[in-house]
This record gives sequence, C-alpha cells and structure tokens, in this order.
Amino acid sequence: MRIHANMKMADLVHLNFEVLAVIQRLQIPFGFKDKSVQTICEENGIHVEFFLQLVQWFNERENFPQEQLMQGKAEWLVNYLHHTHHCYLHYQIPRIEKEIEDLEQLAGLPDQSAHLMVNFFREYIREFTAHIEDEENNTFPYILALSKTLSGKMERATFNQRYEEYSIDKYLDHHSDLEEKIFDLQSILLKHLPPPSNNCQFTNLLLEINRLGNDLKDHTLLEENVLIPKARQMEKELKSKTSKQ
Amino acid sequence: MVRILVAEQSYLLRKGLTHILRQFPEVGEIEFLGSHLGIEEVIHHFQPDLLIINSSIATSSNDKTLSKQLPDTCHVLHIINTILPQGAPDNQLSIYDSKVSLTDKISNTIKAVSEHKNIEESEELTPREKLILKHVALGQTNKEMAAALFISTHTVISHRKNITRKLDIKSVSGLTVYAILNGIINMEDIS
Repeated sequence: MRIHANMKMADLVHLNFEVLAVIQRLQIPFGFKDKSVQTICEENGIHVEFFLQLVQWFNERENFPQEQLMQGKAEWLVNYLHHTHHCYLHYQIPRIEKEIEDLEQLAGLPDQSAHLMVNFFREYIREFTAHIEDEENNTFPYILALSKTLSGKMERATFNQRYEEYSIDKYLDHHSDLEEKIFDLQSILLKHLPPPSNNCQFTNLLLEINRLGNDLKDHTLLEENVLIPKARQMEKELKSKTSKQ
Repeated sequence: MVRILVAEQSYLLRKGLTHILRQFPEVGEIEFLGSHLGIEEVIHHFQPDLLIINSSIATSSNDKTLSKQLPDTCHVLHIINTILPQGAPDNQLSIYDSKVSLTDKISNTIKAVSEHKNIEESEELTPREKLILKHVALGQTNKEMAAALFISTHTVISHRKNITRKLDIKSVSGLTVYAILNGIINMEDIS
C-alpha cells in the first residue's frame, strides 16, 4: 500500500494501528476529522516527508529508510526519540512493573520466583533510566549543539568550549544494550518458569514485554543507524569547515 | 531458527532475497540494512547466523573490524553485482543468477547453518556448564572462574556462549534468576 501526503490521517491509522506510536511520539493531537496527512503535519509543524518515512517504515519493516532519515534534520529525530523515551519511562515500563508485581499474588508459582522477577525488573529499570538520562542530558544536547553550530545558530567558540572533550564515540563507549534484559525476561517467563494459574494475566504480561522488546529494537536501530552516523557526519563537516578557515 | 542479516542497498534485491529466504521453514528473523553505516552495531546486537552482504557494502565498511565482529559460527554469502566467472565459489551470489541457482546456493548454506544449530540446541546444560553457570551467578569474572576451575579463559567464554544459547538468556542477572529458579544456587548466596 502506497502511503501519500494527501490521504486522510484517520485512514492511515486504519491501515496499520502501529503507526499510532509515530503519531504519539511526534505529539500530534487526535481528533483528525477528515484532514489529510499533509494538513495535520503542517498544523503541528512536522515535516511531512519525515512523518511519511517513519510511517512507511512501520508498514514495511524490511525497508528501513536509513539514508532518507539521515538527510532530515537532527532536531526532528532527537525530538522523536525524546518522546519515545518519555513514553517508555512514564508509561510502558511502570505498567510492566505493576504486572510483574501482580505475579506475586498468583497461585502456582514457586515461592520466590515472582519476587525474583520483581527484583530483576527493578534492576533493569535502574539501568534503563540511567541509560536514557545519559542520552537526554549529554548525547542529545551535544547533537543539537552540533547541528546549531553548523547552521550558524551557535557560536563556534561556545561549542568548542562546551564540548572540547566530547565526541559521539565517547557515547558509544558506554552505550549499553537495552533490549538484552527484556528478551532475557521473556525467555525466563516463557521457557523457564513453571506455568502459573492465571493464564490471562500472564499472557498479557508476555505480550507487553514482547512489544516493548520489539519497540526497543526499533529505537536502537534509529539511534545506532541514523542518529549516530548522522552525528559523525556532522562532526566531520564541522572539522572540514575549521580546516578551511 | 536461522537468523539472517541482509546488507544490500538495492530495494529490489532485498525484496527478491526476502522472497527466496521466506521459502525456507528454517529461516527465523531477518534483519535488513541498506548501507554499511552502523553495520558493526547491528551485527553485535543481532548475532546473525548468516550474513548476506553486497560486495560494495563489504568494501566500504572496514573489512577487518567486520570479520572481528561476526560470531565465529556465522556464515557469509556475498552478493556480486556482476556475472560470476565459471567455478566461482559457492558463497557468491550474482545478481544475474537464476532463481534455481540462487535457491541452491542459499539452501546449502541454510542447511549447514541449521544442522549446526540443531546439534547444539537439542542439548540440556551439561554438568560442567551448570558449574560455570553457578560461578557466573555468584558474580565471578571469567578470569576468576578460569583460575578456580583450572581452565583457560577461552574455555570459560565458550562455555558461557553455550549456556546463553541453550537458555536464551544473555545477561548475568538473567542467568542468576535462572540459577536460583533451578536450585543451582540459593537466594542467600547472592545477597
């Protein structure tokens, strides 16, 4: 199905509800009425091509628009990733935590196992939060500053002073893997725990974990295969500008 | 299930390859990349069993770092953008190859990969692996384990890889949970 800017936003969602994630992360308000994708994007100050690239990707997984996304502005991507973080931290992760806590009330699980899961997940939340805070406080501001300096909105001297020691490779040095433990949790629940009594609750937990895991994979793909190469590209550009001067 | 990473810039080729790959029931997850950018990171996360890579992508990424990143058991098929000479190696796929010839070459590789995986996957943890798992769960480093068990760190690492593959658990804390659930260590041992 070919998606285009003139189709109605509501129809786009009907085609694939997964794209709601893109809409949420770009902070597009609901109440679409009969408005087209183009109109709604313009009303909300969103570059329509950027929106379409993401939505197209959600509809056709094996066609990741790496180059197109890299040509877009760093600000767009950072904004998207920032709101994704927010949703993880304030919605998805707390929900899963609550559901794991509820496992403790389930009959059928051996004594300490629910407790073990809770501890495991809380440790994960700590790491997850630290990882995201590092990106929000260091990496994203750095990338935005790079972009501003290149477009002349930030003084070169200010940039140099602020980021004398920093580069995107520094970030990669301690960039930990966020999906790993989510998939570990999934394996433990699916393969290594004895079956619990309430199937419905347990199934729902597994589905949510799986969804988060897959979503984190997408998130990593955007960071590692678009944002970071883009940052490297901007670093290079800035360097070559300097040497010319 | 065989995990495949396809690094190919042409949309049409990616589509065609997907079509062929999906015919094999052994094929599990397939990941795609359209350029060399970020390929090391994807390999590191995804741990493919088979990499199908266009020769032009292979040349633009640093060859040495690429092969260092690949898991030891990972097979590689190269996509060549020209007609192959006679007697070209079986791990080369030409974009001019017929479907039959492509399917043949891919089939052989997938068979080899999945046979290798099946042998490994059908096993339970060996007593030796359980012992290693116990030490891992107790928080020991590879070096400490090697010293305590009189084996090389290389052996420790290969045991750990096998454990992770069999249990589908990568992180130390995940392995610890497994060890407690299965009575390999006690809750009190770790606090």
